[in-house]
Amino acid sequence: MIPQEFAAGDTDASPVGFGLPGVGMTAFEAADDRSLLALLETAAERALRDAAVDATEIDSVHVGNMAAEAFNDRSGLANALTASLGAGRASARRIENTSASGASAFHDAVDAVRSGGSAVALAVGSEKMSAADTATATEIISRITHEREYQQGVTLPSFAGLAADRYLAEYDADRRDLARVAVKNHANAANNSYAQFRTPITVDDVLESSAVATPLRLYDCCPTSDGAAAIVVTADAAPVTVEACESAVGVHAIADRRDPLHIESAHAAGRAAYEMARIDPEDVDVACIHDAFTILEWLELEELGFAERGTAWTLTRDGRTAIDGDLAVNPGGGLKARGHPLGATGIAQLVELVWQLRGDVPDGRSTGSPEYGLAINVAGFGNNSVCTVVGANA
Amino acid sequence: MSRVLECADCGGRTFYEKRRCADCGAETFRDRDPGVGTLQAVTAVHVTPDDVSEPNRLGLASFDGDASVIAQCNGTLEAGDVVAIAEGASRDGEDSTMTLVPAAVNDRR
Ligand SMILES: [Zn+2]
Repeated sequence: MIPQEFAAGDTDASPVGFGLPGVGMTAFEAADDRSLLALLETAAERALRDAAVDATEIDSVHVGNMAAEAFNDRSGLANALTASLGAGRASARRIENTSASGASAFHDAVDAVRSGGSAVALAVGSEKMSAADTATATEIISRITHEREYQQGVTLPSFAGLAADRYLAEYDADRRDLARVAVKNHANAANNSYAQFRTPITVDDVLESSAVATPLRLYDCCPTSDGAAAIVVTADAAPVTVEACESAVGVHAIADRRDPLHIESAHAAGRAAYEMARIDPEDVDVACIHDAFTILEWLELEELGFAERGTAWTLTRDGRTAIDGDLAVNPGGGLKARGHPLGATGIAQLVELVWQLRGDVPDGRSTGSPEYGLAINVAGFGNNSVCTVVGANA
Repeated sequence: MSRVLECADCGGRTFYEKRRCADCGAETFRDRDPGVGTLQAVTAVHVTPDDVSEPNRLGLASFDGDASVIAQCNGTLEAGDVVAIAEGASRDGEDSTMTLVPAAVNDRR
């Protein structure tokens, strides 16, 4: 059932229709011994090879990265990458949008092609988080919060713990239902050789893991990761095209929300993307949802119109978001199990969608013959969201 | 900072400093006493930055005028409890900040 406000209406927007001829990524790992630049180079070269595009043909390079200065004592990534690849004609820049840096870099690449300035744009995202221990990484990421939140020691898992506590109290879902999100995404990652976690887990494994931010436990939370992902955008069409890429901002301090279970930026970005692509939620066959925490998968599915408020948990319970369900969600394992190298994630979601729409996935990870894929990459706990729709051209 | 900011124009309230009111765009805020609120959710955070004690117990509480805050809270508090805001020490011990406490205890002061 589709909420009325998502029904397609009259709009001047038309689908973008740019080609996505090539994608590539590194396997996400807890610690990759290669440098941040080497990860960017590797993913970029894989995408260029997949697209059969030479580096000298690139008009613009768009690097997504959140915190290389903090994690790696590094800056100037886009220039280093461009020179290394031999993309001497290209313009280059880095895009920072916290955990949505990857999708924002892609958004910037789409805008470059839309403007007519680029015929061939390369978006590459990466983060190398292993240089910091968990407490330090938690501190780096918590610096995105409002000063008043920071003073309270608020971290990203803190927001997720509060939202989960509220959701489980407000609706009929129970703690085991929430664990099923992690179980599903780990099962999908088991069939993804690029995923950080390839071992299936059970509901009991989740419930018995250590507490991170009650009621959430370790297996409700994405890991810190090293990795990179890349995608080529061209003005010419390709078997898979970008139909929409839209973003929206939300409040900064999370408690300023009218409802703690709403993520207004995800709702606004999704709505704009549906309008641009001229589709409804029910047209989407496969979705990559920003499941940095299990609870986020439900909240975003509701914001995107895939379920009414307070009911997304039934999609998980009934297997409708499983790999063979009517809306496969996070077939690559999601942030939860594929891993979450911050600046790489938004592009890794698109890599997965392109593979899905081309049928370039092993049997255990196939979602059939999807026509439309949707990705949502969320900055922070919803400060900003980027929603992308891709389509397969028959 | 145990005060809530009230927009001088529309009366909208927020605990979080910003240059302009999110509801009407006005630029002037007045400090108000938030009074008592209701705890909407709680969490105990076990993975914390080095200078934050573990577990860090946090509550999300809503107050009059649609103003909500996430703040450290007493470990015995539960969702649904009526709370007030007391002064607390911030993570670096310098600025004063807020702590959620049971309303009844605050009222007895
Ligand atoms: Zn106002």
